[in-house]
Amino acid sequence: MNKVININFQGRILPIEEMAYETLKQYIESLRIYFANEEGRDEIINDIECRIAELCEDRLKKGTVCIAVGDIDLIIASIGRPADFEAQDGFEASGSQSQQSTTQNTNNQSYSNFDTTGQKPKRLFRDEQNKVLGGVCSGIANYFGVEPLLIRVLWFFLIGVNILGYLILWIAVPSSSVKEVGGVRKRLFRDLDNKIIGGVAGGLSKYFGIQVWIIRILFLIPFIRFMVNFKHMHLLQFWDAPDFPNLFDITFSPGAVFVYIVLWLVLPEAKTSADKLEMVGEKVDLNSIKNTIQNDMEGFSKRAQSWGSDLYNRNKGANESNHEGTASTINNDATYRSSEKRKGFLYYIGRIITLCIKGFVYFILAIVGISLLAALFGIGAAATALLPLRKFLLEDGAQTWSVIGAILLFIWVPIIGIVTAIIRKIAGLKKANVWVRSSFWALWVVGWVMLFYFGSSLGNSFSRHNVPAEQSIALTNPKLDFLEITAAPKMKYYENHWFQIEPFQGFSDEDTVFVRNLRIRIVQSLNDSFQVKIVKLSNGKTVQNANELARKINFEITQQDSLLYLDKGIGINKIDKFRNQHIIMTIAVPIGKRIKITNKGWSQTNVNINGRGMRMGTIDRISSDENWYDEWNEPWDNESYQFEKGVEYKMTKSGLEKIKRADDFDSNDSSDELGGDNPTELQKELKELKEQRLQLQKELDKPAKKTANIELGEAKSLNKVKKAASRLTDLHWVLDRFSY
Amino acid sequence: MDIQNTQSQMRKGVLEFCILSIIQQGEVYPSDIVEKMKLANLHILEGTLYPLLTRLKNAGLLNYRWVESISGPPRKYFVMTEEGKAAFGVLLQTWNEMATAVDQLTSPRTNITEPTTEVVS
Repeated sequence: MNKVININFQGRILPIEEMAYETLKQYIESLRIYFANEEGRDEIINDIECRIAELCEDRLKKGTVCIAVGDIDLIIASIGRPADFEAQDGFEASGSQSQQSTTQNTNNQSYSNFDTTGQKPKRLFRDEQNKVLGGVCSGIANYFGVEPLLIRVLWFFLIGVNILGYLILWIAVPSSSVKEVGGVRKRLFRDLDNKIIGGVAGGLSKYFGIQVWIIRILFLIPFIRFMVNFKHMHLLQFWDAPDFPNLFDITFSPGAVFVYIVLWLVLPEAKTSADKLEMVGEKVDLNSIKNTIQNDMEGFSKRAQSWGSDLYNRNKGANESNHEGTASTINNDATYRSSEKRKGFLYYIGRIITLCIKGFVYFILAIVGISLLAALFGIGAAATALLPLRKFLLEDGAQTWSVIGAILLFIWVPIIGIVTAIIRKIAGLKKANVWVRSSFWALWVVGWVMLFYFGSSLGNSFSRHNVPAEQSIALTNPKLDFLEITAAPKMKYYENHWFQIEPFQGFSDEDTVFVRNLRIRIVQSLNDSFQVKIVKLSNGKTVQNANELARKINFEITQQDSLLYLDKGIGINKIDKFRNQHIIMTIAVPIGKRIKITNKGWSQTNVNINGRGMRMGTIDRISSDENWYDEWNEPWDNESYQFEKGVEYKMTKSGLEKIKRADDFDSNDSSDELGGDNPTELQKELKELKEQRLQLQKELDKPAKKTANIELGEAKSLNKVKKAASRLTDLHWVLDRFSY
Repeated sequence: MDIQNTQSQMRKGVLEFCILSIIQQGEVYPSDIVEKMKLANLHILEGTLYPLLTRLKNAGLLNYRWVESISGPPRKYFVMTEEGKAAFGVLLQTWNEMATAVDQLTSPRTNITEPTTEVVS
């Protein structure tokens, strides 16, 4: 049952089925787009419309009641679709009809993947016949000539990556049963008529039927963000660091430049008018996407069911044949069937085995490929992100340029090349032309050259050592019996690794970064006073250069009673650069005295006590140049005594010994959570707590300024006071015990 | 070498000449042109014919006339202008020269596989 409407078409009244009318309308629209740039296009369209009307009337005269879809299809076929015009470009001699018939009947064949004539490049289509969801998997399977099941399994394994990819392919890949009205199908092109750089944004906007400026803004967002956020005004840093690790997050924003370049290389230009037509194609707006998905989902459960029952039947068939094979309860009719089935069973077994092997191989290959690409991408991104720090390491001029070149050419060029090649392969486009490919290779080779140059020149910069000189640090009262070594306060500093370059945040002085190249050695002192000595070491291009750099190392050591404050790192500025400046600090502890290295602030600094502080026996160990470097380079951790930070040690004749905690003397004592180690410490803590309590009480007495938080604040302070008080009593108790 | 491309180039080259030679015989309706060409074993889509006619008309080689039809609105018939006739003369001469030349070059061999020679017939 079809609705018939009457239309006035070029002066003729035509009864036409509604569906046919829609088809006709779309066909004429497609012509309009096709002839858009033609001079006198209205006239052409008009003429064609006249002709269509005439042909329709002919049909009506022959006795047809109304124009049906079939009639319209015939008429359209005789006049031709835009795709045919382009393919035919002229007319055909029937002599070569057999050869040409493929193009003539494009409407039937253009979407078949089984085009074995080889005349047309293979293209990726979604397979509507064998689909489960959107037909993407079976389309890919078709394309590579493998089982769809294989692709589905692979797809399932990589599901995290692929949901987005599936959606994109679903939308972008034409379906094999695209209703081909006027040969309209949609493909992504670069729109050269509307281009600013490469026409990518133009093509995208045509494809999605939205304004071109929307796409442009989407591409520009990272730049806008980048411009607004001055912290990220680094050369070549396209994304914010936190965004980066998520590789799947390359939407329009973070990797826009990357996406743009890839699209630029991958997408063909819309050269012919047929291309331009395809570029606009059927409207892909939200509605049509929704429709596609809805339609597909409706059929989904059915298909899934049939797929499932199909599998079930296969299995059942296989089992049955197995069963029947062993038991000989077969009648004549069943003999035939079982032999059929047995063949089927073996067939399926064989097939499953091949599939498994194939699947495994493909899986491994895919994993290897993806991880290689990801690793390359990671290195590239990390290197790019570290570029702003180059001034602290690299000399200006050739070295800097070679590293930038190496990053761009050695890492990013192959990434873009590989990604492009993959997409081209998948999209069935032919390979990029020889020039593009060879220039890619050439750029990569240049990248290698730059990498080597960079490596050797950087190596050269580090090639020499300074002449080490030991330097004594005078202590104000070296005879004290306890030394605590701690990091200088009020320094904001990132701490993650033993060796680390970090921008020095929180300070206005951004010309300095800090490296934490410090090792502490503890040895036994020969006399009864503490001694501290440091050796500054550095590499450089020449020995003089290295000496100079070592001399410039500014490492503050300040003493305050028994506290020794050390800088947390060695400052590196942009002029002197990082040349592996490092410091070995030797602390000589007299026998019977105690030492502690706090773990606050610089937990990663290497503290080393060779041979429990007994090695060499003395601090005065000026050795030859290279020995200091050996000292630095040898794996201290292996042979060294496991020194715990934040714990007090006592130097004895046989080396350092951990001082046992107070509670260890008396196992009945349960006050170990107080952490008090000795009376002096506890007394200090007591004093501190008293002060704290005073302060808190003062705070409480103060009239609250803000009315809103009074109660809360009061409650908090009260709590604090309570806690402090309880701790005070505890401490008193412990103290009493000690003094006793 | 892309054979198909060459073939289509050849056809494209003579297409306008063929159409002009049909119109030159007298006033004609576009679908009649298609019919006549079909009889000569040449297939052209109306969709390609109309733009070509419009182009030739805009170039001044053709003109059209509205002819009343038995049923429905008048139909557009194409005729050749004087200018068109002159142009056709030039094309014809060129064609004859070309055809002779090609014949001469291909004659020692059997030319069954050469599709363009069929156009001459």
